[in-house]
Amino acid sequence: MIHIGKNTRSRIVSKGISTGKSKNSYRGFVNINNKAIGARNYSQCDSLLIGNLSNANTFPLISVQNSATKIEHEASTSKIGEEQIFYFLQRGISLEKAIELMISGFCREVFTELPLEFAEEADRLLSLKLEGSVG
Amino acid sequence: MNSETPILEIKNLRACIDNIEILKNLDLTINKGEIHAIMGPNGSGKSTFSKVVAGHPAYKVLNGDILFNGKSILELEPEDRSHLGIFLAFQYPIEIPGVSNEDFLRLAYNSKLKSQNKDEIDPIEFFSLINKKLQIINMAPAFLSRNVNEGFSGGEKKRNEILQMALLDPELSILDETDSGLDIDALKIISQGINTFMTPDKAIILITHYQRLLDYVKPDYIHVMQDGKIVKTGTAELAKELEQKGYEWLKKKD
Repeated sequence: MIHIGKNTRSRIVSKGISTGKSKNSYRGFVNINNKAIGARNYSQCDSLLIGNLSNANTFPLISVQNSATKIEHEASTSKIGEEQIFYFLQRGISLEKAIELMISGFCREVFTELPLEFAEEADRLLSLKLEGSVG
Repeated sequence: MNSETPILEIKNLRACIDNIEILKNLDLTINKGEIHAIMGPNGSGKSTFSKVVAGHPAYKVLNGDILFNGKSILELEPEDRSHLGIFLAFQYPIEIPGVSNEDFLRLAYNSKLKSQNKDEIDPIEFFSLINKKLQIINMAPAFLSRNVNEGFSGGEKKRNEILQMALLDPELSILDETDSGLDIDALKIISQGINTFMTPDKAIILITHYQRLLDYVKPDYIHVMQDGKIVKTGTAELAKELEQKGYEWLKKKD
């Protein structure tokens, strides 16, 4: 994200899901020019880990060349583990449903910005892709 | 206690986790309409017992059988056991980020209806149903829109477990230390919730460390568990005796 003009604003939302032995890395670059007075950037980086062997990293790079800006970076990691799955199962919710619910909860913020048809498609694709990846 | 129909029978149960044997020849029979309390020192296998009954995949049953309404449930998945009517209120309820309490409860309720070949209910119907249940545990409807157990206080988590119990209406409920970490008022509310919920065709197992809960919810039997088996069974009086003398008292007798 490169800020050139005055009072410019930007927002970065990154969501990564790692399952199995996969690793997911976020590398972001936010550059605020010396003329971009009053620029604002907010970056948010959420990772979801499924199982015990997956991995997530965040490498945010922020370069600010003037002193009147506001930059924020937030990162979070949540995990779908055996205990959470068991909680769902104990309440009678099947494994597939449980994962679907947690994944769509995790992605909601992004999916609500998408056109409806596409959001539904994306939701289903994700559940399909992640089927059988836990347990 | 008028009908002597066993709802849960545990026979010679031996179970382990990571090759460490926790339950050693546990025997227990629970009839309809009975409230049983299980007490015992830390690490005696009480929570293991509750998880084995619920079918936690990390625990392996080595020997023995668990019968629910006369049928063995050892081969059943946790979700099937839940559909049969076994409910476990967790000692440490799990936080589920990104999933609202309302969605979670509705899905659980609908899964149960589906397993009984009944029609699922829509969100509006569900909302009026859950609102009635909320009153049992004295919770505001705002509770529903929060994520499951996320950022809940200890007491709220435990109340949420009771709410789920009231909603799913299980035949057998195992409450694993539902009373720990509660203040006096919350304990009263939860006890009242349990008492309203209890009917002659259900059974409840209370796992607890304290006499206090048993003052509000009167158990028919108290079992003391030690080293993976039940070492003593008695009536409500036993809890008072234990409170005074501690578990060491039982050890000396052996």
